[in-house]
Parts: sequence; C-alpha cells; structure tokens
Amino acid sequence: MLKKHTSFIWILLTVVLLVLFVFDIVLGSVQIPLKEVLKIIFTGQSDHPEYLTIIYRFRIPKAITALFAGFALSVSGLQMQTVFRNPLAGPFVLGISAGASLGVALLVMGISTFTIVSQIGVIGNWTIVIAAWLGSGLILFLILAISARVKDIMTILILGIMFGSATAAIVNILQYFSNESMLKAFVVWTMGSLGGVSLTQLKVLIPSVAVGLFITFMLIKILNAMLVGENYAKSMGLNIRVSRFLIFFSTSLLAGSVTAFCGPIGFIGIAVPHIARIVFKTANHKILLPGTMMIGGIVLLLSDIISQLPGHETTLPINSITALVGIPIVIWIIIRNQKLSSL
Amino acid sequence: MQNQDNILKIENLEIGYPSKKDVNNILFKNINLSGNTGELIALVGKNGIGKSTLLRNIAGLQESIKGDILFFDKHKESYSRTEFARMVSFVSTEIVNINNLSVFDLVSLGRFPHTNWFGKLRSDDIIKSKRALEMVSMDSFARKNVNEISDGERQRVMVARTLAQDTQIIALDEPTAFLDLPNKYEIVHLLNKLSKQENKTIIFSTHDLNIAIQEADKIWLMLEDEIIEGAPEDLILNETFNKIFEKSNLSFDKLKGDFRMKRTHSEKIGLIGEGVYYNWTKKALERLNFLVKKSNESILNVNIEEKDDRHVWKLNESGNIHEFNSIYELSLYLKKIN
Repeated sequence: MLKKHTSFIWILLTVVLLVLFVFDIVLGSVQIPLKEVLKIIFTGQSDHPEYLTIIYRFRIPKAITALFAGFALSVSGLQMQTVFRNPLAGPFVLGISAGASLGVALLVMGISTFTIVSQIGVIGNWTIVIAAWLGSGLILFLILAISARVKDIMTILILGIMFGSATAAIVNILQYFSNESMLKAFVVWTMGSLGGVSLTQLKVLIPSVAVGLFITFMLIKILNAMLVGENYAKSMGLNIRVSRFLIFFSTSLLAGSVTAFCGPIGFIGIAVPHIARIVFKTANHKILLPGTMMIGGIVLLLSDIISQLPGHETTLPINSITALVGIPIVIWIIIRNQKLSSL
Repeated sequence: MQNQDNILKIENLEIGYPSKKDVNNILFKNINLSGNTGELIALVGKNGIGKSTLLRNIAGLQESIKGDILFFDKHKESYSRTEFARMVSFVSTEIVNINNLSVFDLVSLGRFPHTNWFGKLRSDDIIKSKRALEMVSMDSFARKNVNEISDGERQRVMVARTLAQDTQIIALDEPTAFLDLPNKYEIVHLLNKLSKQENKTIIFSTHDLNIAIQEADKIWLMLEDEIIEGAPEDLILNETFNKIFEKSNLSFDKLKGDFRMKRTHSEKIGLIGEGVYYNWTKKALERLNFLVKKSNESILNVNIEEKDDRHVWKLNESGNIHEFNSIYELSLYLKKIN
C-alpha cells in the first residue's frame, strides 16, 4: 500500500513539473497563444518569426535555467542539512554565495573605483560569471582545507558562517566607495535573475549542475550514514574526510554554478528539502534526494512564473519571489510539525 | 569458533588527547585488558576517568597515544576501514532523534560495511536487519519512526543496529544512562543474553554497579591509576570495589553487593523483628544514624509485632512504650527525641 502511495506521488510530481515547465514558456510579458507555443516546441516552426525568437532565445533558456537551478539549489541544501544535521542549513552556509558576491562586487565596483570605466556594458555577462565562480571557488578551497584538519563538523559550520560575514563586510566596504550606477548593477545582480542566461551559457551551466547532481547521487549511501552523525558513520566504516570532500565539492559545484549565472537565489535550498520530507515522510536519501530535486524544480519554475507577472511588462526579482513563496511554506511546516529542531 | 583467548587484547595502552605542545593530555596509562567470546564486560569507574575515551579507542574512533589494541592477534591499525567496521560496532551516548527515519531504516544502516557503494539492501541484508530487530524484540516497531519511540525502545534499536552490523565485538558507551530502572535492567540483561546466544564480546560502560555485578561476566574497573579486570564476584571478595570511591563517604557492602554511605553511628538501638520488616526497619534506623543491634538490651528498643494482619512498631523508651503504624511515624518520633 505504501509503495502504491509513493509511486502516485512520483507521477504527480512529474506531471506538475512538466506542466509548469510548459507554462513557464507560455506565460510572459508578450502573450503568445498556447497553440503557437506547442507548435514551436514540437515542430520548431511558426508563422510569426518574432515568436520563434522569443521562445527559443529567451523563454526556453529561462525555463531550463529555472529547472536546473531548482534542482541544484534544493539538492545542495539537502546535503548541507544532512551533513550538518541542522534543519536551518542551506546551500549557502559554507559561504558560497558570499564568496560569489565578493567576486562580483570586486569586479563591478572594484573596477569602477580604480579605473575611469563606468559603463556597465563593458563588463560582459561572462566576466560576471567568472568572477562569481572564482569567488565561490576561493571559499570552497578554504572550506575544504579546513575540513581536512578540523574534526568537529560544527566548527566547520561556524567557520563557514564567519567566512560569509567577513566577505559580506568586504562587499559592504566596496559598496560604500562605489558610484551609483555600479552600485545598482551589483544590487541587481544580488536580486537574482533566471533570464540572463544565454544559450551558450546554458552549455556550461547544465553540465556543471549535471556533474554536481551525478556526484550527489553517488553519495546516497554516505548521506544516509551521515544522518546518524559522523561518529556512527565512522564506526560503520565511512571515510569521513573523503566523504566530506565529495559532499562539499558537489555542493559548491551546484550552488556555486547557479549563483554564478543567476545570482544568489535564496530560500529554495532551505525550504525544499523540508517539503520533500513532509511529502515522502522519509529520511532515506534514496527517496529524499530525487524527491527534493523534483520539488526544487517545481518550486523554482512556479516562482519564475509568478515573478513574470503574466500579462504585465515588468518582472519582479526572482529572489523576492522565492522568499515570498518559501517563507509561508517554512512557517506552515513549523506550525504543522513543530519538530523542525531535528531533521 | 574463534580462539577463546584472542578476541581482544589491550597491551600497555595509553589513552588521551594527543597534543603537539604538551604531554599532559594523557588520561590513562598502562591499560592491560582482554576480552573473550560470549562475554559481557562492564567498564566501571568515576566520571571523567576515561571510560568513553577507552571505548572510543577500542571502537576505532580515536587514536591511542601508545600501546596496542589487538583484535584476533592482529593490530587495530592492520585492518582496513571496512574490515574493522565488520569486526567492531559502537553505540555512543548521543541520542539519535531524526524525524521521518524509520526504525528499520536505522537498523539497516548497520549493513553499511556489507553493502555496495549505492547501499543497496540485498535480501540477505534485509533478513539480517529483520533478525536483529527480532533479537531485541522490536520487530513490531520496524515501520515506526525513531522519534516516536521511548528512550528504552530506542536503545534497543541502537543495539539492533550493531547486531545488523554483524560484528564480533560491540562497544556501548553508557547504554543505561537515560533509562528508568526497569529499562536499565532490561537492556543490560538483553546484552548478557546476546553475548551468550550470539557468542559476541560486548563491552559497555556504566555507572549502575548493581546491574553490572548481576549481569556482567567481567568487570573492567578503572581506579585512580590502575585498571583491574575480573569477575564481579572476585572483585567483591578481594575488596577491590572499595577502592573506587576511596576518597568519598561511600563504602562497598560485600554481602549485599551494593554501595552505601559510611555512617558515624551515635547511639545504639535494639531491634527485634522478622524478615523484610526487620531489614527495612534496620535500614531506616541506620539512616537516622543509629547503630542497630539485634537485641532487646539497649536504652531504646524497637519491636516489630503483628497485630490484626498488619504490622506495628513498638518503641520501648526506657520503660515507656510508644506504638507506631509505620516506619515513617517511628522515624518522626525518633528524630524528635534525639
């Protein structure tokens, strides 16, 4: 009976995911009839060339970005919650987003401070991505170096938060000394955006996320053992150092790549694993991991649809939407469960 | 079966926390101990003396500073991680309390060193996990969540996890710590049963000396600067137990196998009575610092008499007779006149 129940959930999630994916492509500031959209998706042709451009150049890349960003952020959040055995952990507890924002801040505002260049256009899309990647890579390197030496996992958590605060402080100083247009460019980046990822960039984002997800799926057994704490995991024969390395590496790859391309998108990583626990009522990562991934894709697609305010010209920053979607979910979980204190 | 004598041998072990700057972190030196098959071993000693550290050394969770731990005549270090995990399992004092983790999932985690990289449970693994739950009489709890069961039940499940891990040696750090009295007895009795039935070597640390004396085959007694092993009865007869709390007010009662406070008796009291009534009245009088004599010749004398199916305590206070219906009433009066 339980098995039947679970397979029903899987089917439902898949259907919802597909429907939202299509909706995300259909809905936008320019109204394109559903018929046209389906025709374009399945035949690749349309009587309206401008529709083709909109769908292929903008909406499909954006929907795919939302899907993969949802996968990546929620899965890395789940990993961090398991490793730190803390329900409030998320993909950014290691300071990855702080590192990325330091990279971007140094680029955007550092350049404007030390040179006369003040035109945002000079700084290309790729440059921002690389800067963000370098920033989060630096933090990852520090965390890995520490985790090889420090025995207590909680120490690593605290150090991660310290690194985050330290980089945020540096970013603040940079903001203080930068000019208005650069400051705005940076603030816009921190609000996150799924729409800025081009088809070429997707060719980098998708493989990065895919590799990160692949490593995580290889770690299911290890994550299950980590649930009962590192002491028990070690007593069952787990190599703690190697496991930590792999988990931190895949988390950074997942969260770091998404942050580099889309900016720091919050809340998905913390909220979605909890939703998956409620839906599947299990702590076993064999179910929880794919479940979290699916729900992560669904939630970010939904957030993206809302952020576009279908029918309107403007779009809202995705970061605000994920927070506004995520916070009620977390509050509901806390009130319903009252057991968020343990995983 | 394995050679009886060589399951576990600890030679000149030095434990503690290694530090680069000083050598003051040694907790305990010159540890020489052994463990055999089918043996339940209780590790006893004061708080902070190094019981947990010793267990963690045996369970491979901590490096020792000096000396050797040998399993089946081979050094601890010569085993691979997985080989070691198939030989020694561990239950720590940490309470595992995870939402949505089922009892069966927790127990089958014990199959970790036996399963492939994906952790796939083959039918053999499922059978062994189920059997482990049966051995601790928790098979009906398999589908329950670990945070929905009582502390005593959870401790049984943790034992089942070590049974699923299928190791010759099981080390448990204070498995009775959070339990109420019946559960304490039950879990230690279960450990005893398992050591015999499954021919395992089970080592547990505890502060419940009464239980350890009743159930353990051997006691590892950690004193100030030496560690002594032997059957509990041996340690009682050669008065080793008295050394545990040498500096405190406790002394070990050889006959009862129990500790009691050393008392300075002020006054003599005579007590006449029978059976349990005599014993418990004596205990109460001793608590009030009387030296109890089984006679009628002191200044104060208590007689326990049966009267219409109940017991009354008659106090003879140099000729004046007072009658009491309970030990409590008697003790209230004695407190007043003292």
